[in-house]
Amino acid sequence: MRESAGGAALKTSPGGAAGKARPGFKVAALIIGSLAVTALSPFFGLSVISPADIMLPDHPDAEVFWRLRAPRAAAAFLAGAGLSLSGMVFQAFFRNPLATPFTLGVSSGASFGASLYFYLGGTFLIRLGGVGPLFASLMGAGFSMFLVWSITRVKGGFSTVIMLLAGVVINFFFSSLVLFVQYLSDSHDSLRIMHWLMGSLAGLETARLADLAFVILAGSVIFRLMAAEIDLLTAGEEIAASRGVRVGLTKIKLFVTASVMVGSVVSLAGPIGFVGLMVPHACRLTLGWAHRLLIPAVFFTGGCFLVLCDLASRLILAPAEIPIGIVTSMLGGPFFLWTLFRSQKTGDLF
Amino acid sequence: MSDAQPGRAETPAENAAAPAVTPAAPEMTAAAPAGKGAASAGNGADPVVAATRGRPAMITVKDFSFSIGDKVILDGVGFSIPEGGYLSILGPNGAGKSTLLKCLLRLHEKGTPRGLVEVAGRPLGSYTQKELAKLVSYVPQAGGWIPPFSVLELAKLSRFPYATSVSTLSRADLAAVDRALEITSLGHMAHRPLKTLSGGERQKAYLAAALAQGSPVMLLDEPASFLDPRHTSELGRLLISLNRDEGLTMVAVTHDLNHPVRSGGWALILKEGRTSYFGPVEGLMGGGVLEKAFNHEFTYLTHPADGRPVILAE
Repeated sequence: MRESAGGAALKTSPGGAAGKARPGFKVAALIIGSLAVTALSPFFGLSVISPADIMLPDHPDAEVFWRLRAPRAAAAFLAGAGLSLSGMVFQAFFRNPLATPFTLGVSSGASFGASLYFYLGGTFLIRLGGVGPLFASLMGAGFSMFLVWSITRVKGGFSTVIMLLAGVVINFFFSSLVLFVQYLSDSHDSLRIMHWLMGSLAGLETARLADLAFVILAGSVIFRLMAAEIDLLTAGEEIAASRGVRVGLTKIKLFVTASVMVGSVVSLAGPIGFVGLMVPHACRLTLGWAHRLLIPAVFFTGGCFLVLCDLASRLILAPAEIPIGIVTSMLGGPFFLWTLFRSQKTGDLF
Repeated sequence: MSDAQPGRAETPAENAAAPAVTPAAPEMTAAAPAGKGAASAGNGADPVVAATRGRPAMITVKDFSFSIGDKVILDGVGFSIPEGGYLSILGPNGAGKSTLLKCLLRLHEKGTPRGLVEVAGRPLGSYTQKELAKLVSYVPQAGGWIPPFSVLELAKLSRFPYATSVSTLSRADLAAVDRALEITSLGHMAHRPLKTLSGGERQKAYLAAALAQGSPVMLLDEPASFLDPRHTSELGRLLISLNRDEGLTMVAVTHDLNHPVRSGGWALILKEGRTSYFGPVEGLMGGGVLEKAFNHEFTYLTHPADGRPVILAE
């Protein structure tokens, strides 16, 4: 970059980040690549579908393509985008890369809500129809977020250690509640809960896709509109407030939006772990922390990443299918450790 | 009222909260040293009134208290600063200095403030956060969390109160950022991440970011802590020139007793949440003011080269 005594801001492109290429191009390349991979993914699976066949009416491959694979790819994309973006927001919020829907206990809270609904849904008075699991997950996610929030606040500020500990405790607490519900259920419900807990896109109902799309897209737009506020929160709460951000209100908005996104994904696909850790971190390594650019990058990369994981989950043991949560966790565990060791070496967590 | 600032035109108005005479000049600090020993709290005049005599008050705090639960952190603090004034807030550790600064920014999440705080003639509570940001900027204490941004990115974020919800900066915004980098002579390291800077450079970057905000008042929370002597004196000179040349009203929490002596203006000493002294900086020398506040002995010398007073903690 040009170096002169003055004019640094006027001369260079806005939002200059790490790297030599203009970050705008990088984001555009990421978006195009992600969309291309996502669009191609439904052609692959147990059998490879020829592009020529998908437009033929009544062709069995066209049926598989449009009825099964395309909605599933869309769901995987939305789920990946939602989990990644909410992870990104939690990380900016707590200024800690280990803050994710999983480590904060949101995922397990949502899981508890949903499994409770599976258990009570058929027998109880609550009959919410298709949106039942969504609603129950959201309640669970909100409740666990509230608990973590209150614990960290009572213990003084948002200290990283307290927050992570609170998350771990809440996580265990809700996981044991889920096991309890599972224990109470009959074998059919129990199996259903177990499958769902591993995180899977297999039993996806197409009708629920629209709900998911609405929540994820609306949440992403909200985040994008708040990019400057998120940047400032990353810089520190005192700096944010002195620059005109209503810190309390902004935090609540971000918290609620992120929790709703996680809850909606969990209600459909189960608690898919580590996506919210890996994707934002990888994107930050190349793009830096300017959320104006980071948000679109994380959205598309996260979507594409989960689409690929879903493809892998269908291919690894084909024709059997392993739950996608297992794939992401197998990648995420080592990644988590790598982040930890790298942070020890560089002295800070980013 | 005859004791305040010799050499200054007498203003007939005794109500000093906001008199009509408005020479919004920053030379108040230059005039102040003449009034050695005068206008201290001892002469019966109210120093809070005397502080803004003849010019509009930028910040007025009256009988301000702040408590968290039943723990009282600030108790009946009062002071005022005129436009272009320089206020140094001193006091032992834990006296409530940083809390006072945070209250001026409405940064307290919990706790209950009581009393009157006015900024530019309006109650603090009547401002939106963005309106307040256009009036008051803030330089945080160095150390702790380092934002993962470059010098330039941090400075650009300061334009938030002027930008719309979508973060697009106008040419005026960018010009303000450039000017801030120029004043702090950070232009050549605009693209360096804050993390790679030395403590002194980073503190200047925070200062540049606050300057880019373009607000007439600047609050500083121990800006020189953690700095080596060279950077401390560089930063001190920069702050004084911001006050004299740019006309900024400065409010600085500091532990460096000699910085107020150089900057002039007014000093507020807090002790256990109460005002221990409020008056002109000259009043710090002798008279037991510092001894009372810090429970410690001080020696007052004269600088052999320029004749300025030097305060030495025993």
